[in-house]
Amino acid sequence: MKNKRKFSKSHYDYLKKYRTKKILILLTQIIILVAFLLLWELLTKYEIISSFFFSSPSKIAETIGEMFRSGELIYHSKITLYETLIGFAIATGIGFIVAFILWYSDFLRRVLEPYLVVLNSLPKIALGPIIIIWFGAGSKAIIFMCILIVIIVTIMNIMNSFVGCDKQLIALSKSLGANKFQIFFKLILPNSLKDIVATLKINVGLSWIGAIMGEYLVSKAGLGYLLIYGGQVFNLNLVMTSTVILCVLACVMYFAVALFEKLMNKYYHS
Amino acid sequence: MNELVEIKNLNLIYQSIDSETTALQDINLTISNQEFIAIVGPSGCGKTTILSIIAGLLKASSGSVMVAKKTPNPKDNLCGYMFQRDNLLPWRNIEKNIYFGLEIKHLNTKERKDYALFLAEKYGLKDFLKKHPSELSGGMRQRVALIRTLALKPELLLLDEPFSALDYQTRLELCDHIFDIIKKEKKTAILVTHDIQEAISMADRIVVLTSRPGTIKAIHETKFPTTMTPFERRKTDKAKKLFDIIWQEIQNEKQKKI
Repeated sequence: MKNKRKFSKSHYDYLKKYRTKKILILLTQIIILVAFLLLWELLTKYEIISSFFFSSPSKIAETIGEMFRSGELIYHSKITLYETLIGFAIATGIGFIVAFILWYSDFLRRVLEPYLVVLNSLPKIALGPIIIIWFGAGSKAIIFMCILIVIIVTIMNIMNSFVGCDKQLIALSKSLGANKFQIFFKLILPNSLKDIVATLKINVGLSWIGAIMGEYLVSKAGLGYLLIYGGQVFNLNLVMTSTVILCVLACVMYFAVALFEKLMNKYYHS
Repeated sequence: MNELVEIKNLNLIYQSIDSETTALQDINLTISNQEFIAIVGPSGCGKTTILSIIAGLLKASSGSVMVAKKTPNPKDNLCGYMFQRDNLLPWRNIEKNIYFGLEIKHLNTKERKDYALFLAEKYGLKDFLKKHPSELSGGMRQRVALIRTLALKPELLLLDEPFSALDYQTRLELCDHIFDIIKKEKKTAILVTHDIQEAISMADRIVVLTSRPGTIKAIHETKFPTTMTPFERRKTDKAKKLFDIIWQEIQNEKQKKI
């Protein structure tokens, strides 16, 4: 309520209804989570389902505590987080620049289009063996796998958004004598902001996929390594724990992007 | 009389993969300073093409077009182009939309911005400067577009059916309003329109084009007293007679096509 105007009673009723609904939604979300955890805990406690195969919330919490004390939690999370973030940043950055170049040059865009389409439909995991040979069995290979998975989608999404800008707005800018860089920074970029943020959100998910997939292939450490290792020694408790940690990290990264979106909107919407 | 626009033997041919279309053929037209010209004609006769060439967005295939004795170039600050759609940027508020042209032309000095704000205030947009385009009505948005154009102080206004996207009521109001602004600011204007009445009510001279390839079929002078508003002009007998003549001319063109 920026201006302290008096509103009618019906407006306050409306606000009240709105808030009640909001609270109700949040409450239901929490109840579902708690109920799920509780059910899981009880079912495994009384061995209705096997706690060996399904682990249990308390066991997972215990394992997280143990791993935290031994430093393993930080160690493995750090490695995977590092790979994901580097992969995400490089792929998004280069993807953005390539999208810009392809928007700028109609010739290049038409030349490269079929290559992009083929690269996009190729399952990147198929390149695993080549990547290992080129980059060795270490972080480099994992980051490369991550970049490979993220970059093509980034290029295609952002380029399509750039190219899809309203032709009439471009005509207006041209009638004002705008050059291509002015058109890009004053028109194309703010116009594509929504799509860019949407691409970033997709990239969060994809870069985690890339990093974990890379770790499945080659790693000696990281959350993906823990998942594979846990699976191989039938320590499902470790597998579940790693999954939970992954969930939390991916969530944090997603919210960071959402925050970025808010800041950008503030900057451009005035 | 000093001439602002001189079009001599203008031809324009559109090239595409499987055809070649002559859009304009042998157009000759001279427009003096502070004159208001309307161009009417059947659909697809190249009305908008003429505007694009005068604005320097399209190059003539042959013949010459001079605006203030120069070949048109959008980088020069001579023409202000107003489109059918207001083309306001949805992420900018009204004030920043008004500055858009100034920014592109690197003219966003305090003085120019103040002039833009002065126009906005003068033409009733003062209370809406911080609002976004989506919060304004169609008529107001088109007025913002006009002020964005006028802020650049162009010599020549190119109006490409600026009223056609509006409802009838708003159209008549805005017609009067924009006519008033153009006369007060002493601008030259070329209006492209489908609406014969609109052309009669605003223009000093009306150019009727033939169907494709567009050539000049006739030029009518309206000769209304300068004090009359477009709305008053619409109601005169002279306007009705002129309407019948131009209507018939365009109708004949359409039949020729079939």
